[in-house]
Amino acid sequence: MTSSTIAPDRARPARSAGTAQPSRKHGQLHRSEARGAWTLLAPYSVLLLVAGIIPVVYALVTAMQTPPTPLNPTVSFGGVQSFITVVSDFRFLQTFINIFSVIIVWLPIMLLGIVGLALLVHASPGRFGGTMRFIYYIPGALAGIANFVLWVYLLNPAQSPIQGFLNAIGLDTIKAVVASPANLPVILAGMLFFQGVGTWIVIVNGGLNGIADEVLEAAAIDGANAWNLTWHIKLPMIRPWIGYAALMNLAYGFQLFLEPYLLDQVASNALPDQWSPNQLGYAFAFSNFNFPAAAAMSLILLVMTLAIGLLIVFRSGIFGEEER
Amino acid sequence: MKTRGSRRTTVKTVLVAGVASTMFLLTACSPAGTTGDQEQTDSGGKITVWVDPPRVPAAEAFVTAHPEIETNVVQIDGTVGGKNLQQQFAQFNQAGKGWPDAIFFPSNDDIAWATGAQINYAADLTDDMATVLEGYDPAVNAPCEIDDKIRCLRNDAAPDVFWYNATFFAENGYSVPKTWEEYGDLAVQIAAEHPGKISGFLGDAYAPDRYLWASGCPTNARQSETEVTINLDDPSCVRAKDLINQLVEGNAASTLGIFDADAATAGLELVMSPGAVWWGDYLFNQTWKIPAGTMAGTTPLTWDGESEPSTGNEGGGLWGMSSHITGEQKKNALTFMEFVATDPAWQVELTTGLPGYGPVQDAWIEKQSAANYFAENAATFEAFKEAASYVPGDHAYMLYNTGGIWAETVTPALASGDTFDAGWSAFGDELVNQAKTFGYTVQSE
Repeated sequence: MTSSTIAPDRARPARSAGTAQPSRKHGQLHRSEARGAWTLLAPYSVLLLVAGIIPVVYALVTAMQTPPTPLNPTVSFGGVQSFITVVSDFRFLQTFINIFSVIIVWLPIMLLGIVGLALLVHASPGRFGGTMRFIYYIPGALAGIANFVLWVYLLNPAQSPIQGFLNAIGLDTIKAVVASPANLPVILAGMLFFQGVGTWIVIVNGGLNGIADEVLEAAAIDGANAWNLTWHIKLPMIRPWIGYAALMNLAYGFQLFLEPYLLDQVASNALPDQWSPNQLGYAFAFSNFNFPAAAAMSLILLVMTLAIGLLIVFRSGIFGEEER
Repeated sequence: MKTRGSRRTTVKTVLVAGVASTMFLLTACSPAGTTGDQEQTDSGGKITVWVDPPRVPAAEAFVTAHPEIETNVVQIDGTVGGKNLQQQFAQFNQAGKGWPDAIFFPSNDDIAWATGAQINYAADLTDDMATVLEGYDPAVNAPCEIDDKIRCLRNDAAPDVFWYNATFFAENGYSVPKTWEEYGDLAVQIAAEHPGKISGFLGDAYAPDRYLWASGCPTNARQSETEVTINLDDPSCVRAKDLINQLVEGNAASTLGIFDADAATAGLELVMSPGAVWWGDYLFNQTWKIPAGTMAGTTPLTWDGESEPSTGNEGGGLWGMSSHITGEQKKNALTFMEFVATDPAWQVELTTGLPGYGPVQDAWIEKQSAANYFAENAATFEAFKEAASYVPGDHAYMLYNTGGIWAETVTPALASGDTFDAGWSAFGDELVNQAKTFGYTVQSE
């Protein structure tokens, strides 16, 4: 361990340049430092307990019960029955296929967009770069609903500024635009891209700013042009950030709820009510009154996103834990 | 290594806290399983009523007419097919309190869970409101008759009549069809001779009511609390399917739904269609702004080989009362129910829907026909009155939402240019699957 971080989870991104700092003797931690670490950790731990651990445990307990049904309204221990109910539900696989159909379109565009635009912003020094960074950030700064309403205007052939384009490809009504199964992944990919790309440009840009000036100067003295700098220096050095962006966005994709839910309302209910896994969980709870199945569904999603989260922490290298 | 050590301690602490909280939750949540049969309570007279936005005037009229009853009027979300209401009632049952004393259900399907064993909210009105029930045509109040008990009151009757554009028919010399088969043929003929003219809407949640219910197709044939018959291969379904297919193939129907914003333009091209009595005022007059003297309603269509017309039903709201109250509170809630179902101050003066309660229908017709909006005004209102008796029985509101399933399966298939057959088979599969997820045993004969 070369880094001097105390609590790895809370460490600020380590300087990728890897300038070896004088490291303390292995693992020696003063008592005052430990107290400080605990103090810093305490508010987060309380929050984690109230908003994370307790709900998860409650979900676990609920998932192990049997749902009350008209024939048997009592609640008893059901073991893994509710997990079987969820996995064997006729919509379960389809919801994940739906999600993947969006991710396959969206994630590559998202990553290319983030990295490409962040590199461009970083390569444009001074006021111009700052202005562009701000402009890219604007769509992400709009709250989810405002962003959504803008999209509805854009997609509705009756009001859209791209009306001509929509009509040219044979779409005359908002229902025709949204309800065709093949259109939905593209629409959602567009919505998610503009909503998220600005924030991620700022984050990746932060990673680029972390590259020490000496490294870039040295490369320039060795005769590297802007293209060489980008390809051989910057890109390898921000690789952890790219991995971080990919996994965080993947985790976000798994939890889609609002966009398909609202598009369904816009399209006069022509989309499936249980389009995404989260919507299926919602339906288990509030249409079927099967709270154990809803809890099981959310636990399945939790395991998936938790796995992605652990991958970020231990494999992306962005938290500076791994050996160099 | 100290760093790791302290992390392990954290994990241990969190685990202990987690286990402790689990024990707490286990004890705190044990009564959550109880349902239904709480003791009935009496507030001493004060009642709370829940109404959707269009029914607010009804509650206000009640407050004016009965100032002696302390009434708390709560306006609720009126979205048809909304899930929030169900969720709230599930929570009231867990808490053992919080139910409204009377409610207008925003969706007719709501009556399925409101009378189901889990929520079991709606009171049995069979004896308490016997005199009011005498004024109802049993066919009109049929949705409220569940396992031989009357569990709600119908606010308005909403049978389909056959609508046609009288001006268009007169100008072009067409004669109004009498059978469903004639309707299909004429629709295709008109679409060919006058491209752009349409004879129906297929994309809304009421479309299966309009065509499948009208044919007696078993999509909602409730056998008992837990059993239902769904069989789309039944001849009655097949003839309705063939008719819709004919309309689709002949470009004679819009794939939009009647409530779509885009339907306002398409609606002006409508030359004929089966449709609920409320289409006249709500859709044609107020929403699509079709000029007066254009549209006319007539007797519903008959299927070839049958002697009587057969027609669907689109909505026609339901009033329910709490089964959790007694004493003065219950007496006042019953007064409220009787008022909103029967009193001319609401049913004649304010409502735009044909009253479900028979004795006030004539007064409502007299008031509405004075506007002289329809082309064949007298005949249209005559058709309104007789239509309710032509709605096939054996169609209950279920926990699954047939109209919603139609909107999610058939509509996208038609909107994306797929065949109607593809949408139809998806509709059948989804119907059976959804019914099963609600715990129904599905029979197919």
